[in-house]
Amino acid sequence: MGKTLIAGIILSSLMLLIAVFGPLFAPHGPKDQVKIEYVVVEGGDSYVYAPPISPGKDGYPLGTDKDGYDILTKLLYGARYTILLSLGIAAARLAAGGLIGMLLGYFGKPTSKKSSGSSVWSVLNGIPTFLIVWLVMLGITMNPAASPIAMSLLLAGVLTLLGIPSIASTVREKTIVLRERQFVTAAEALGAGRWKVIGSHLLPHLKEAFLILLLQEVILVLSLFGQLALFHIFVGGTTEYFDPIEYHSRTNEWGGLIGQARGSFYANQWIFYSPLCAYVLLLISLHLLSKGLEKRYNRMFSNFSHL
Amino acid sequence: MSKAKQWTLMIPGMALLVLILAAMPLVIKAGDGGSAIQLAWSQGAEAFKGYFAGIGDGATFRFYMGSNQYLFWDRIGYYFKTSLLYVTSGALLGTAIGIFAGLYFAISKRGWIKSIIDFLGSLPDFVFILLMQFGIVWMASKTGVVLFEVATLTSDDPAIALPLIAMIVIPANYMIRSVAMQMRLTLTEDYIRNAKARGLSRTYIVFYHALPNVLPFVKGDLHKLMGIIMGNLFITEYLFNNKGVTMLIFTNAFGDAVYQYNVVVNGLLSFLVLYGIGYGLLRLFIFGLRKVFVR
Repeated sequence: MGKTLIAGIILSSLMLLIAVFGPLFAPHGPKDQVKIEYVVVEGGDSYVYAPPISPGKDGYPLGTDKDGYDILTKLLYGARYTILLSLGIAAARLAAGGLIGMLLGYFGKPTSKKSSGSSVWSVLNGIPTFLIVWLVMLGITMNPAASPIAMSLLLAGVLTLLGIPSIASTVREKTIVLRERQFVTAAEALGAGRWKVIGSHLLPHLKEAFLILLLQEVILVLSLFGQLALFHIFVGGTTEYFDPIEYHSRTNEWGGLIGQARGSFYANQWIFYSPLCAYVLLLISLHLLSKGLEKRYNRMFSNFSHL
Repeated sequence: MSKAKQWTLMIPGMALLVLILAAMPLVIKAGDGGSAIQLAWSQGAEAFKGYFAGIGDGATFRFYMGSNQYLFWDRIGYYFKTSLLYVTSGALLGTAIGIFAGLYFAISKRGWIKSIIDFLGSLPDFVFILLMQFGIVWMASKTGVVLFEVATLTSDDPAIALPLIAMIVIPANYMIRSVAMQMRLTLTEDYIRNAKARGLSRTYIVFYHALPNVLPFVKGDLHKLMGIIMGNLFITEYLFNNKGVTMLIFTNAFGDAVYQYNVVVNGLLSFLVLYGIGYGLLRLFIFGLRKVFVR
């Protein structure tokens, strides 16, 4: 195993642990709030003790946000939405898209043109997914009556549906290449049924590709979470306060925490950078895992450059 | 289907898609009594009809910015020009840098640069932009030197350099990775070994044997690249607060608290025009490259 892969496995399992058991390690409750206090010190001096508390002070390792909630606690509670949901969406995309792709690739007619560059489908590829999700969620995301979990599942459904076509076409291309291989012809000649060929010849050959595709989809879903959050569409719904207008994530999903703290760009920067760091760390661990796997598979299967 | 037929079907098809997509916020609403969604088809249909009815008397091209009414045609020129600069430079420079740097990375032995590029490529565009902004702010606070403007605060003094860098680097990065991967695959082919055995120079093989076989993949990837560029345009204009087409859509989607279907549709249509221009330029660029390197 390469160093990249080991680092990826360690970091990713750590992230998964946080996602599952995060709230157990939280130093504060999700509702614990620092209130504004007027403190008089001995000798007559006095000061106002008010949130945001900066990191490391008074038992708040990452500080508190402007409303006095502990950021580390928020991150630990939000982790399950970020990590488990993105993993779930990616897995659902892969299951549906992979199946459709394999069926299309195996049963479909081989296309005469090699790759039709200007077909309608490839143009649809050009529409940013995030734009479609933004338009779909725009009408329902603000102060929804439904529970955060219902809203998260709704978003998950939309994101899954939108992700299926691209996976299906990737898998289809790979299946078409495999279909021409001799072991498939041999299996067919020996009388294997179509489903048997898919199950015991195509699927095992696509296994590695699926694993890497899964990790890349998780990264894609996470970046969609983040992009949507910039436009105040948070996983699990947005609480909108008026006077002044503020947007808050209902689930503390990490992308949402980044999105809602964009105002702290110049001052109280930790409110903004703590969730951003957590989010980037998650991406790094997934990236290392996927790169490590890729390297390992390359060593096992690939040809070498002649130059 | 012939190509001309495909195009004549596609353009109205895309326009229709825009009309439908823009109606989504009207159709999909929060439901009453705790249910997550309800569908109000009639409202969508009404907006749809209103759009066409308003073309005659010009209502389709009027919109509210706050409480002031504006004419779409008066405003779009400025917004369009801003976006056009970003899209064309992102598309052309991004692809050019991407292809040639990709060639270099495919044959270079320096693994660490490749790892850095790979890693940057897995970062979402907005994280990259935020990190750039953070870098500038951090440098300014340490040394007092403000390299670039971090965001547009007034329209007289727009931030240009940093958004341009973001618009070029992100597609370039995608292109580098995709070209390098295709190039590495191409270099394993037997005709490369044959060329090498004939004593042709490395540079010659790369440019005249390998590159022509990589270009078709680049061409097939152009729509995906444009998708990245256009998605990036949204994020870039939003994060730098630049007045481009996508900001026209976002800031005016709700004018005076009412969803403005017309301005979203018009904005998205201009967005499609931008897409078309960018895509056309890229096709021209690839055509030019083929003229030079394919014989």
